[in-house]
Amino acid sequence: MMNNKEKIKQIIRTLGEHKDSESAINLLTELGTNSPDDEIRELTAQTLIKKNTHDSLKVVLISKGKGINDLSARVAMASINELLALKDKNEAVKILDDTVKMHSDEEVRNTARSVRALMTFSS
Amino acid sequence: MEIGKLSLHTTKTVQNNQQAKKINTNKFSTNPFGVSFKGNVIQADVFESSNKSTNVIAQKSKMFASAVVSGINNFNEAFKSRINAIVSFGKKVTKDAFDTMERIGNTEIKIDMEGIKNKMFPDRQYSVKQLSNKSVDELKGMWEDLTPEVEAA
Repeated sequence: MMNNKEKIKQIIRTLGEHKDSESAINLLTELGTNSPDDEIRELTAQTLIKKNTHDSLKVVLISKGKGINDLSARVAMASINELLALKDKNEAVKILDDTVKMHSDEEVRNTARSVRALMTFSS
Repeated sequence: MEIGKLSLHTTKTVQNNQQAKKINTNKFSTNPFGVSFKGNVIQADVFESSNKSTNVIAQKSKMFASAVVSGINNFNEAFKSRINAIVSFGKKVTKDAFDTMERIGNTEIKIDMEGIKNKMFPDRQYSVKQLSNKSVDELKGMWEDLTPEVEAA
């Protein structure tokens, strides 16, 4: 018998493949990245990164407390791994470069710089 | 005197009885005897012949035979009417059966197999394949319904 967390995970996986991509990203941002559950936030970040669009990557790269900036090491590491696994990293690199240059929060800028460096070395 | 009174009384009684018989006879225009046999009016020849004493037995047998024939005729009619009723009932049943078959033939039977499967296997509706048929708003509603329990845990 599937518990509620598993059911939510299935919804997240469905949103990752949904035709209405824009609405799906909004829903993942609204409910997934703000979930109190680490596993749900982790899967949400991975799903957004897999979408590999400007709007989906922006959420997990430059938002404080989300994606690579999540307070949970598990969520942050899972997000970085997913970024490194992307075949096309151009959009992610571009956003990270802009974040390093322009973001107002120093912690976010530092995280973006570290991830940018990792992506350079891994490619 | 006594004997004379008695004979007078007896004569009066006989006369009264004859009058009563006449009254009864008038009830039946076709059967002056006023005799019935199992509810059927006897269709005998009721005219008295001149040699009354010798023909009593023959007349009685005639009446009996007439009653039997009348009874048979009535039985035939009753039988025919019952047979007709049975035949019409059979026709009605056959027509109803045909109508039902036609109605069944024209009725489109839809079985919601998805609904049955979802009830048998409640988790099935949370498969990605099933969920992908839903809109994002529907998914949002489902997610919000599931969230309170996850937050409590």
